[in-house]
Amino acid sequence: MSEFDAIVVGAGPAGSSSAIKMASGGLNVLLVERGDPPGSKNVSGGILWGKDLSSIIPDWEKSAPLERYVERKVTSFLTHDSEIAIDFKTKKFQQDKTGYSVLRTRLDGYLARKAQQAGAMLVTGVTVDSLAMKDGKVVGVINEGETITSDVVILAEGPNPRVAISAGLREKPNDKTVAVGVKQVYKLPENVINDRFNLRGNAGFAGEYVISFLPNNVFAGGFLYTNKDTISVGVVINLETLRKDGKTHSFDIMEQFVQHPYIAPFLEGGQLQEYSAHFVYEGGYESLPKPYGNGYMMVGDTAGFSFSNGMILQGMNYAISSGILAGESAIEAKKDNDFSEVSLSRYWKKLEVSPAILDKKNFRGINSVVWSGLVHRTIPALLETSLQNMLYETGAPKKHLSQILLKSMSSTGVSSKDMMIQGYRLMRRM
Amino acid sequence: MVLEIIVMVKQVPDSQEVVIDPVTMNLNRSLTRNVTNRADENALEAALRLKDSVGANVTVVSMGPPQAETTMIECLARGADRAILASDRFFGGADTYPTGLTLAATISKIGKFDIIIAGEETSDSSTGHVGPGVAEFLDIDQVTYTSKVEYKDGYVIAERELEDGTEVVKVPTPVLVTVLLNSNVPRRQTLRRKIDAIRKGFEVWDHDRIGLQPEWVGVRGSPTIVRRMRPIKERERAAKKIELSAVGDLVKELYEKNVLKLEVDS
Repeated sequence: MSEFDAIVVGAGPAGSSSAIKMASGGLNVLLVERGDPPGSKNVSGGILWGKDLSSIIPDWEKSAPLERYVERKVTSFLTHDSEIAIDFKTKKFQQDKTGYSVLRTRLDGYLARKAQQAGAMLVTGVTVDSLAMKDGKVVGVINEGETITSDVVILAEGPNPRVAISAGLREKPNDKTVAVGVKQVYKLPENVINDRFNLRGNAGFAGEYVISFLPNNVFAGGFLYTNKDTISVGVVINLETLRKDGKTHSFDIMEQFVQHPYIAPFLEGGQLQEYSAHFVYEGGYESLPKPYGNGYMMVGDTAGFSFSNGMILQGMNYAISSGILAGESAIEAKKDNDFSEVSLSRYWKKLEVSPAILDKKNFRGINSVVWSGLVHRTIPALLETSLQNMLYETGAPKKHLSQILLKSMSSTGVSSKDMMIQGYRLMRRM
Repeated sequence: MVLEIIVMVKQVPDSQEVVIDPVTMNLNRSLTRNVTNRADENALEAALRLKDSVGANVTVVSMGPPQAETTMIECLARGADRAILASDRFFGGADTYPTGLTLAATISKIGKFDIIIAGEETSDSSTGHVGPGVAEFLDIDQVTYTSKVEYKDGYVIAERELEDGTEVVKVPTPVLVTVLLNSNVPRRQTLRRKIDAIRKGFEVWDHDRIGLQPEWVGVRGSPTIVRRMRPIKERERAAKKIELSAVGDLVKELYEKNVLKLEVDS
């Protein structure tokens, strides 16, 4: 007889969601988090697409610590001294709010409290050292040599899952499966943020950037999100190109981003409140681990559930949905009193028809396009030169767009054939 | 008969994260996380060491808001046998006088005790009043600023750290002892102990349970009022970089400016 029905390792959005689901379903749940309070060890850009929360917290839009809803979404290329952006704003988002900026120290605490209220036992400030195994089955967790037993263990450790890796359930993160994220939070008065981003009330700005001006072919993306009275800003750096270069530091890239002539004015006068860094999971469909086995399931980043295609960068929504599905599976397995691999394969069946897997599958190979010279160097340079020629009056006779484009291509060293092939690939993958 | 030890603890904002609101000049508590006052962790460890060596029943008492729960659980997880949180909206806004009174009254309600152990002071206000205050309210002896506490045959033997040496004091129980910050290394809390602590739970006592009138405690029972706070301007300091080879010149310069004095042993 196990002490708990389920032990959840990690109280981020994935772990807490599964704990809420399981505890509400009558399971006896232990939720263990090394951070104290929950969220203190976590970093994320901070846009929550929280529709999935509705099934476990019906009033989440009223009770969760949400900062602003996304009304203005910018996708942008930054060159050394220009910005070329798609700036999409719509009042439709006011009616149907889908994305909210959040601060993880608050959100994670809120979700963990919800798990407690649902009946889960929350223990913070303690690290799970390893999994307890018996006859090839996970039977609990070990801390300081003592075993706490459970029928099933849910691994929700984030993108660098020490316990899952040491148990051989997952590969170590490598340059292809993770990027490095660096993030800062600046404090500014609410009205100053509203003025700078042309926002009213609780509307918010979410910007994602291709940072194309870094030396030595290091690829990085940036993000900037408005909270109530803070701004979250950060970079996500491709590790393959960073390592290849070997000279550029991640904090230098962060500095160059926040000092960019079209980023710095947003942050001017802000007081730096947080500075953090973390892995960002980026692995594609091919590198997904098998997220279940005898007595265990993996959720969120630990199972590789995150998504980026250059236009969007998401993780928390998949964390929540996979947490809920794992919770559901555990409840069903408890009814059969069977936590074997065969029984828990029901989790995989649920995943297969959910966005956590489908998005990965449908956008297979997207990483090679997102982290490519085409996106990070060629397109920004081409756009910059073309727009400069097209939009500025020079006194010379005007030219057709096609002429400008061709000239820009030759000056940036791109052949038109190459451009067509690569452009087609990009459109297809995105 | 088993030794009865009471440990007084307080939950405080993490001193490494304290932020002063530039407008109101108050501590911005919403940004800081709450932790157990570090010196109180040393006080609990001193009590637990007595429990290990001579056997004792350790009861933790605290006065604070409901969120002090985490501190109560933490103390139980480290090895306390019982935890009582004096918590009541009437206790809010207390200065050190009604705080001492509330804790002393709580301890009286618990019943017989031999030793009360407290941290030397809390990191959020640093008065060091509450421990000695409780001893006065209870009319018992006190030994302050100790680095080591032992018990033998009805006596506490404690070492006090003084400026010019260590004083060893032997005093009959009941007695209140305050313990220096960092005088020991608090034991770790394991997952097992934390689970057991949460299951055991702690008690919450209000003014009625303790037997206090609302006008004796909290802001109404406090003789001091903070009228104003102001930040201290950081003094500009001169700095210059010197090469290792130029240290001799620096010593000479400081000597000439009377910063360094030359003393020759006779």
